[in-house]
Amino acid sequence: MRYPKELVLKNCTEVVIRPLTEQDEQALRDFYGQVSEEDRWFMRFNVMDPAVIRGWVQGKDDVYSIVAECSGQIAAHARLHTHAYGCYHHQGRLRIIVLPEFRQKRLGSWMLLDLIHLSMEKGLRELRADFVVGIEDAAIEAAYKLDFFKKAVLEDFIIDPLGQLHDLLIMTKRLHKDWGDF
Amino acid sequence: MGRYVQNEIFLSTTLGELRIRSFCQPEDIRKLGFDRQFGTHAHYRSLYTKRESLERKAEQPDTSVVLAIADSTHIVGFGVLAYPDPEERWAGLHPQVMMEVNAIEVSRQWRSRKIAKGIIQMMMVHPLIEEKIGYFVGYSWTWDLDGNRMSAQQYRQMMANLFEPFGFQEYQTNEPNICLRPENIFMARIGERVSKDVQNQFKWLRFGMTP
Repeated sequence: MRYPKELVLKNCTEVVIRPLTEQDEQALRDFYGQVSEEDRWFMRFNVMDPAVIRGWVQGKDDVYSIVAECSGQIAAHARLHTHAYGCYHHQGRLRIIVLPEFRQKRLGSWMLLDLIHLSMEKGLRELRADFVVGIEDAAIEAAYKLDFFKKAVLEDFIIDPLGQLHDLLIMTKRLHKDWGDF
Repeated sequence: MGRYVQNEIFLSTTLGELRIRSFCQPEDIRKLGFDRQFGTHAHYRSLYTKRESLERKAEQPDTSVVLAIADSTHIVGFGVLAYPDPEERWAGLHPQVMMEVNAIEVSRQWRSRKIAKGIIQMMMVHPLIEEKIGYFVGYSWTWDLDGNRMSAQQYRQMMANLFEPFGFQEYQTNEPNICLRPENIFMARIGERVSKDVQNQFKWLRFGMTP
């Protein structure tokens, strides 16, 4: 795919989407430093651990990352987790984090679309994204718009910092293989 | 309306000799037969199913109708480079900066013979091409996936590979029809004489805004 990709957001902010590189390690740490503790709580990884960030910038464990850059700073980070072998090798798992001031401006949707294209190029058959109901509703809405469907709801599966339980929504999107899918 | 000089290339294929000609005029088109494969198929309908539609298109200013002609009588492929319809977003860049690769199609039995490449080559010899932003919109629902035995992703990649050698590159846009499916593709080629200001306007236009 060709990068960088220029975007103009709903509020006229210009951003660029490009792959994450090893030179972005500090910038990505700074980015996650700006994400609220509540948002970080719901992530599957401890993003304050430098080893986690280093693994991502080095593209370890079949994780592919793109970032949205605005005025030299990372505004969003999107990851595609893949499996080189085994029963999940046909699937990719997505995670997109957008800084609060860039939310509701369609940046997350652009990042999602880019990862969908990448997944199609990689020959994946299905994408999976997990969302916490009541916490990540805007992301759920964006996923529906890009043809993700509800696969399952795990009731009272996720616990928030106050001890309250939340449902986990698993959404998937089948990637078109031939005309029969239209 | 002034007429442009026609250009022509010859192509030798296993099915016979072809000539690919730019700026075909309505009277030229009228004399030619239209391959019957340009019609309606089970999962696909040609963009132009009647020769008369190409004749009408050829009457429009600055439009280049490029034809691939077999045996000097038979249209087996065509391409149209024209200004967008006034109601389209891409007509918003004044004065008539953008020109659309409105159609490119090769009859099923003549495919995989580099005819499409020749058609684009002839569209790109337009004398105004370096003053324009040429663009191409690929809607996956118009693609003959069945006839080409390709997935939408493979077809999308094929279109990108076809246009890239001519200076086209993929651009992001929030144009609603393009956004309907992730397989859809928007590509553009910015002419060498297009000013930085117009290029900037084009960036904003892609997102439905003005700077």
